[in-house]
Amino acid sequence: MLKLIVQRLLALLPLLFIVSVLTFSFTSLLPSDPVDLIIGDTGTEEQYEIVRERLGLNEPIHLRYLQWLGRAVQGDLGSSFFNSVSVMGAVMQRLPVTLSLTAMSALIAIVIGVAAGVAAALRPRSWVDRFATIGATFGQAVPNFWFGLILVAIFAVNLRWFPATGFTPLTESPWEWLRSVILPSIALGTSSSAAIARQVRSAMVGVLQQDYIRAARAQGLSTRRIIFRHALTNALVPVVAVLSFQITVLLGGALIVEQVFAINGLGTLAIAAVRQQDIPLLQGLVLVMVGLVVLVQLATDIIYGLLNPKARPS
Amino acid sequence: MKALIRNSIVSAVVCVGLGLGATANAEPSGTFKYAEQVKLITMDPQQQSGSGVPYLRPVYESLFEKAPDGKAVPLLATGYEIDGLNVKIMLRQGISFSNGEAFNAEVAAANINRGVQLAIIEGLKTVESAEAIDDYTFVIKLKEPDPAIIDSLCYTGGMMLAPAAMADPTIDRNPIGTGPYVHSKDQSREGEVQVYTPNPTYWDKEMIGLSRYEVWEIPDDTARLNALKTGQIDAGNWLANPQAAIIDRTAGLKLVRNTGGLNYHVIISDREGTVVPAFADRNVRLAMAHSIDRAAFGKAVLFGLSEDSYQPYAKGSWAYNPDLEGVYAYDVDKAKEYMAKSAFPDGFTFDMPSIPIYQSRLEALAGFFKEIGITMNIAPVEPGTLARRSRTTDFPATNLVWNTNTDPKFLSLRYIYEDAAYNPFKTKPSEELLSLAEAGLQSVETDVRGPIYQKLAAKLAEEAFLIFVANSPILIGASEKTDANPTVVYRYGEDSINLRGLKAND
Amino acid sequence: MTIKSDNLSGAVRHRARWRPNGAQIITGMATGFLVLLAFLAVFADWVSPYDPLRQNLMEALQGPSAAHWLGTDDLGRDVLSRLIHGCRIAAIAAAEATTIAVLLGVPIGLFIGYRGGMWDWVVMRIVEAVVSIPGIMVAIVIIAILGAGLHRAMIALGILFSTSFLRLARGVVLAEREEVYVRSARVVGASDNRILIRHIFPNIAPPLIVQVTLTVGAVLLAEAGLSFIGLGVQPPQASWGTMLNTAAAFMDFNWFLSVPPGVAIILTVLSVNLLGDVLRDSIGRGIAVAVTPDKPAQRFAPEPVAAEPVSLARRADEILRVENLQVMVPARSGGEVPVITDLSLSIARGETLGLVGESGSGKTLTGLAILGLLATGVRTTHGSIMLNGRDLRELTRHQMEQVRGNEAAMVFQDPTTSLNPAFTVGSQISEVLRMKQSLTRKQAWNRTVELIDRVGIPRPEERARAYPHELSGGMAQRVAIARALSCNPSLLIADEPTTALDVTVQQEILDLFRDLQAEFGMAILFVTHDLAVAADICDRIAVMYAGEMVEMADVDPLFAEPRHPYTSGLLSAMPHASDRMPPLPTIRGNVPRPGDWPVGCRFSDRCDYKIAACDARIPLVGTERQVRCIRACEFGMEAAS
Repeated sequence: MLKLIVQRLLALLPLLFIVSVLTFSFTSLLPSDPVDLIIGDTGTEEQYEIVRERLGLNEPIHLRYLQWLGRAVQGDLGSSFFNSVSVMGAVMQRLPVTLSLTAMSALIAIVIGVAAGVAAALRPRSWVDRFATIGATFGQAVPNFWFGLILVAIFAVNLRWFPATGFTPLTESPWEWLRSVILPSIALGTSSSAAIARQVRSAMVGVLQQDYIRAARAQGLSTRRIIFRHALTNALVPVVAVLSFQITVLLGGALIVEQVFAINGLGTLAIAAVRQQDIPLLQGLVLVMVGLVVLVQLATDIIYGLLNPKARPS
Repeated sequence: MKALIRNSIVSAVVCVGLGLGATANAEPSGTFKYAEQVKLITMDPQQQSGSGVPYLRPVYESLFEKAPDGKAVPLLATGYEIDGLNVKIMLRQGISFSNGEAFNAEVAAANINRGVQLAIIEGLKTVESAEAIDDYTFVIKLKEPDPAIIDSLCYTGGMMLAPAAMADPTIDRNPIGTGPYVHSKDQSREGEVQVYTPNPTYWDKEMIGLSRYEVWEIPDDTARLNALKTGQIDAGNWLANPQAAIIDRTAGLKLVRNTGGLNYHVIISDREGTVVPAFADRNVRLAMAHSIDRAAFGKAVLFGLSEDSYQPYAKGSWAYNPDLEGVYAYDVDKAKEYMAKSAFPDGFTFDMPSIPIYQSRLEALAGFFKEIGITMNIAPVEPGTLARRSRTTDFPATNLVWNTNTDPKFLSLRYIYEDAAYNPFKTKPSEELLSLAEAGLQSVETDVRGPIYQKLAAKLAEEAFLIFVANSPILIGASEKTDANPTVVYRYGEDSINLRGLKAND
Repeated sequence: MTIKSDNLSGAVRHRARWRPNGAQIITGMATGFLVLLAFLAVFADWVSPYDPLRQNLMEALQGPSAAHWLGTDDLGRDVLSRLIHGCRIAAIAAAEATTIAVLLGVPIGLFIGYRGGMWDWVVMRIVEAVVSIPGIMVAIVIIAILGAGLHRAMIALGILFSTSFLRLARGVVLAEREEVYVRSARVVGASDNRILIRHIFPNIAPPLIVQVTLTVGAVLLAEAGLSFIGLGVQPPQASWGTMLNTAAAFMDFNWFLSVPPGVAIILTVLSVNLLGDVLRDSIGRGIAVAVTPDKPAQRFAPEPVAAEPVSLARRADEILRVENLQVMVPARSGGEVPVITDLSLSIARGETLGLVGESGSGKTLTGLAILGLLATGVRTTHGSIMLNGRDLRELTRHQMEQVRGNEAAMVFQDPTTSLNPAFTVGSQISEVLRMKQSLTRKQAWNRTVELIDRVGIPRPEERARAYPHELSGGMAQRVAIARALSCNPSLLIADEPTTALDVTVQQEILDLFRDLQAEFGMAILFVTHDLAVAADICDRIAVMYAGEMVEMADVDPLFAEPRHPYTSGLLSAMPHASDRMPPLPTIRGNVPRPGDWPVGCRFSDRCDYKIAACDARIPLVGTERQVRCIRACEFGMEAAS
């Protein structure tokens, strides 16, 4: 297993490198001169040169990239153009928020998706199956932020079961944390749960027709054991591959859903960075997100290996 | 022309006493949580251009402050003397900054000089320089007569920074002042909450009533409302918007209408037509002014929390001109006539910067302008940067609020002079405007200045490059407990609470 | 003669392709909705009752009324009109972004697929990098460069979605290129490149169409999301996303504002997705449709085939006795048809009964029916299955679970698929021991190793920890046998256990069966199509044809003197060990499908000896030796002579 992890990590290095080149060069293409934005209209030519020098904008782009990369590998992503807050600090402060959302919504998506998919696969064409299939089709068509608005209207504004907005850190109060992430996570996780349900259903229907399921039944194993141990373990193999993609989607979706619930996560930071054209912040955000995606891919690879012995390096 | 004003320390003592229903030697305890609607840009008062003063007040004290009646009273100063272009300020002794550095005339002068040099604070635009004359007395030299200089020293212009802070490039998040509280960077969360704890070296310890003060950064109006409802915050500021209207009608919440008003207006920056030629045509500007249905705007967009506005000042102010009421009242036909008369009868298009809290105002304005053939594109800018972007030539027009507590001389500093802050296209003012602006500075007496500024307002209405729309009071939403708390004193004309003497609600 | 396990796949597959009319209705509605949208988009100015930007502040935030069917927004603008104009924005957005994605992705994909090498490598790495960033973040970064607004946001989305078109085009080129090179090795003529180009275009069109529908749905959602956060369409322009943005601010005043644009987005995306699903299914890419019938076959009480009096002799020490078994399967027409009729057989302790016949004769189904393992929709309707004196048909599902494994077990044809690929083989055996015999984990494991050792696998401890894919076929079958025998069942049903194995391994497995039977004494029902194998291992043989037994006898008499023409035919088709020639099919035609059986003798239409009397129902006669042929006596003599 260690070998697998190392192998995968090594394979991901070039990816991170390319992403860093892409983000750096693209964000350097931003149309407005950041120096103008910083010094404002009252700035003098002198100030302009000073700021330009301070930001290192006088150096050629490849040198700037190398310097930036050199610091980035040490965990220093520079600091925002507009205040002295370090990019790493700002991102890390928001990261738990977005991670909470992503993780909780992934959990919801997996639980609902797998449950619905299995239920549908066990009785194809039954009302459960129809309900799940129609639900999944709808689920994939509902914009997550709209669903969030509706959830707020019902469960926060009218029923007052959950806070309508805001986020409580897990470290502050686990219960309040749960209450603050539950609605956004449902809003976010629904479409993924639909995608997962479809995948689980089709995988499960396939697996249930496999010889080894019949063989297990012939051995007199209980239905529950056959479904949850023998069938599900195999049906989840293709699902895990989808899951990695879905978590990336969730991470992206979190950026928008955060706005609905006025949660200060990476999304709020990203939108502010775009509006202010805060290049270092944008670069840092993209890189950290890719880092997250890479970790998720690694985790799913490992789970994939656990579920599917054939995928393990021998 | 010479004026000599002496101000006694007595009035300062009276003022301090007002905010103090409190026993003298109680240990600071409890937390007070305030929510600010604008995002924190910088904690350097001298680089701070827009709103967001609540972030600064816990740490920084100004030389003077506004008493509840609106008069300037000493805080870090003990008094002042104005002699022509020289303003002599006497300082309180025995005060040190929270980092241990001493506060004296040299530091105060350095602060003023830094503010002048940074040239962001408009209240210091009239200042030439400052110089210490002894340990606790310094002199501000003015470039021109400034009847409002002491008023300016009540706000960011008078806030005193520690020498170390002035030299610190990261001052924007590491403020050091003399105030009752110090900023705790460790406990603060960027973009979410700024935390302040008692200043152990504060010069007036009895005025520290809290063990912790928090300013929450909640730009989303609904989120702030929810935070107030759920008790996550004790008070917060609002503009006239649906959420404020909800507070006003929700039992258990109180919408405080603080002194002073926020006068929403459209500024035609490019009035020489550099980018948008139509703006050079006064007929176009008048057409725009007449196209706005202020009654509907006030009802629908400001939820009945405002009054129609045609000039900078509201009724009751010495600078208010009653003749201007309805001067460019809503009249679509008249507006269309002006458009027809103009060189741009087929209309034109321009961009207008927007922040989320102004979104619906601008959509409404866009609707009005559309009626007369003008297309206004709404361009979102990051909240907290509207003022800054408005000072650039990025936009041919902008929209801001004018705080009616501000001295009328700032009208000139902001909009009229060629180098005015919000005159990015460097338009030369008309002779008449310029002379009125200068005349207003020649006296400190409101009886003398009043008629001058009333005339100035009439001239502004005529030139119509400042189109006033609606004036709403400074609104502070408070919980029931906050409302019942006798130590809560709202700063005159400001969207913040006086922290000196403030105690927790329980 | 190719024989597959007879699982009725043909019938079932046919049924799966049949979709109810409901699906067509939905497809029609989706198409109709999209046509309506297109209409509204084009004629928005004429259709909408008001100017979408015309505000009336005095009538702001009103609910639905006669004047404003969907109410008014915060500035008193008509929501319906804004919604209709939103159709136009949605159409522009979808068209713009998708077109950019195709125009950007397809040519680059074709180019790198064609050029390969460095170009391919570099572009694909960049694509991978872009794909690893959450899509909305990519869009946000591109918007940071281009600026907000409908068209610029759509350029951003176009660039984002171009990666999927790029990969698609590249994939098609690579596949076709392979194809063309293979073909051009045989045909000399037009240059490879021209062939390539000629081949790519027809092949790229179907997946491209599917991808376009998928992209349109995704673009609509992304546009709404970007507009919602203020980076897409800018107000006051009416897009569904910006309408939702406004609705969010006025949730407390008029929650209904959020409904119309939300529903519009959902219905549009839903319609596009549904059409995409249909296209994908019809083009045949992607997930296969479930292989299950739409609905359970309509049950109809089949005319009970007059149960024959069972003439089967009672045997001493009888373990299994099946009488008059009838199994029905769902038919294409929606009813049920019999697939096994009137089957009676018995097996004694230590005895091996061979069940032989061609594919489709119902052998495997008989084995499954005994264990109650019939697929959904297939059911036993008549007869009794007595195992150790108990009728298995009377048992509850739970009781049946108890029987399986403990009293009766089964070994399947393909050992590599009948073992679960996800677990070690040892764990699969010990699981049975733990579940069925309540052994502890450790006891079960020890016993597992013993069993693996017993079935002749060297280094059992090590092999127990192997996964199925790490074992050879023969080894895997030994494991499967060990598992079947783990609870010492009195009946073992072996369904073609050697068919999938190498000839050399076959013999070893047969020997293993013999040894194990000698040791454990279980009765074996040995299902096979291979008479040679049956001859090797069985004591008696039952020949099945078209769902019924046609002949049963001890091995030697059967081989020496077959009495049914079908048995005789099978014997003639049997390859001889010395004979390396492929067997010649000596029985013409095929086994008729269930439901198409002749009324009388089911073999009659393939039989050389058919006479008029064969058109009537033929009974099974005899006790020890049974045959179902009215000419059995004559035929037997003829064949013998």
